[in-house]
Amino acid sequence: MSAIEVRNLRRVYWTAIGVIRRKRKEVVAVDDISFDVDKGELFGLLGPNGAGKTTTVKVLTTLLLPTSGTVRILGYDITKKPEPIRSRIGFIFGGERGLYWRLSAVDNLRYFASLYHIDPEVSSRRIPELLDMVGLGDRSKEKVEGYSRGMMQRLHIARTLLHDPELLFLDEPTMGLDPVGARELRQTIRNLQQGGKTILLTTHYMFEADALCQRIAVINHGKIVAMDTPEVLKREVRDLSIVELDVFGIPQAVVDRIRTLPFVDTVSLENVDQRQSLRVQTSRGAEAVPDLMATLEGQRVGKVIVREPTLEDAYVRLVEGEA
Amino acid sequence: MMAQSIRKNLRVISSAFEVTLRTNIVDSFVLFTILLQPLVIAVLAMWMLSGRDTSNAIYAVVGSGMTGLWSTLLFMGGNSINWERWTGTLELLVGQPSHLSLIVFGKNLGVVLQSLGSMLASYLLAAVLFRAPLHVEHPALFAVSLVFTVFAFVCFGLVIAPIFLMNPQVQHWQNAMEFPVYMLSGFLFPIALLPGWTTPLSYVLAPYWAARALHGSSSGGASQQEVLIAWGMMVALGVAYMFLSRWLMGVMLHKARADATLRME
Repeated sequence: MSAIEVRNLRRVYWTAIGVIRRKRKEVVAVDDISFDVDKGELFGLLGPNGAGKTTTVKVLTTLLLPTSGTVRILGYDITKKPEPIRSRIGFIFGGERGLYWRLSAVDNLRYFASLYHIDPEVSSRRIPELLDMVGLGDRSKEKVEGYSRGMMQRLHIARTLLHDPELLFLDEPTMGLDPVGARELRQTIRNLQQGGKTILLTTHYMFEADALCQRIAVINHGKIVAMDTPEVLKREVRDLSIVELDVFGIPQAVVDRIRTLPFVDTVSLENVDQRQSLRVQTSRGAEAVPDLMATLEGQRVGKVIVREPTLEDAYVRLVEGEA
Repeated sequence: MMAQSIRKNLRVISSAFEVTLRTNIVDSFVLFTILLQPLVIAVLAMWMLSGRDTSNAIYAVVGSGMTGLWSTLLFMGGNSINWERWTGTLELLVGQPSHLSLIVFGKNLGVVLQSLGSMLASYLLAAVLFRAPLHVEHPALFAVSLVFTVFAFVCFGLVIAPIFLMNPQVQHWQNAMEFPVYMLSGFLFPIALLPGWTTPLSYVLAPYWAARALHGSSSGGASQQEVLIAWGMMVALGVAYMFLSRWLMGVMLHKARADATLRME
């Protein structure tokens, strides 16, 4: 039996537009997705913002009902039997929300320990252990309102491990953490998986999915566009090279012109500090550079690199291909 | 097994109670609903009585205290659910294994016990500022009535909580409910002054029976038997509210999960 079984899951939100003649608008957040996660597996749900990752996790954690399709968690149907699921799963949605700011870390955990019916003797032992594990032991009695985002994120992890759940849902757990904190958290996640937990992780950091997940489902516009191991997904782009160019304030029309070049597979543009990183996937490798430079004539171009593709490039190709 | 389950549930209630007290204590809106609003009502009532027969002063004090009790329950109870929605903790409360009714019971208990301060504040205001003769006719009956009142209000809060759970537009409901319950429960004047068709509505409101018990035992306007009947009605309605709330909570939670209203961004 799989820990998670998702069949043809679809989730739609409705919003109303207008004042007098109100029209109901349908927004499809998750569109007919199916996947399984085995017990003990670390499974990644990878996709850009608004792709449907969080909605999927909310359905899987019994917080939202599916519009159609079935979801079974640890053998229980989330629509018919949500109660037995709730004591056996843990979830974090991360960020600064989901905590009682006026209480200390210890008091937050004590409250949730009682809600999860953890014996006071057990919780009085487990709470300090967990707080030490996430590095909050020294500041456990301070009110949460004085915590940094990273500290709050670590407190979320401690909270979700309180009742020792067998299945964990981690929605973008490292978002907003500093690099050292994120690395430590990734190590914690790895340890949890090695300790036998089943984990579903959502992220839009490719290197994170690559480093942690055994299998990845790439989700875009509510649909799963690819699902496999990171190695197989990387093969998607093995015949391509990546030309990465630093540009500054490049107009969209120029990006669109590059996209139409015959030797160009996909193009992505990302803001990095004061510059933009233009990534072009091409089968021509370094030979494509002169033609690209010609198309970029009149634009300010900085560093140019030609490199081997990564999982991130496979992801860009999958997502761009769907766009 | 059953004793263990009861112990666990009581722990949930006491934890929710403790968290509510500790988070409310630093909220200035609590001061307004518990102290300021009932005091304003008490001042108006005492001013209307000044120069006349002041034997009704205790009626005004108890009545204004009850308005504070109801407003605190309605606004603090409703706001706390909405506050949990906006801070992202409501999802955590729904996604954990304890029944949400237990958490709401603990929250309501915290709010109602805090709001007893309304009655104390009204009493002190009338005694010190207006020097009204405040005499509780049957202190023992009054004290027991207070205990039943707390139970009745906590259970009444359980019935209205599911509405707040489902609907993020809490304020609309609060404003619509505040004054009708004041009037139908006879906090500040007898329901005999209202049209006859409203009387059955009053009878199904536990706050009405609480007002009868508290007014009757403090002013001495009711026999011991009438106070006992009011206690019985508070218990009966309280238990009925619990069952109704459990069902309503299930229905509203299902709707909140369908409409995605458990969290607001």
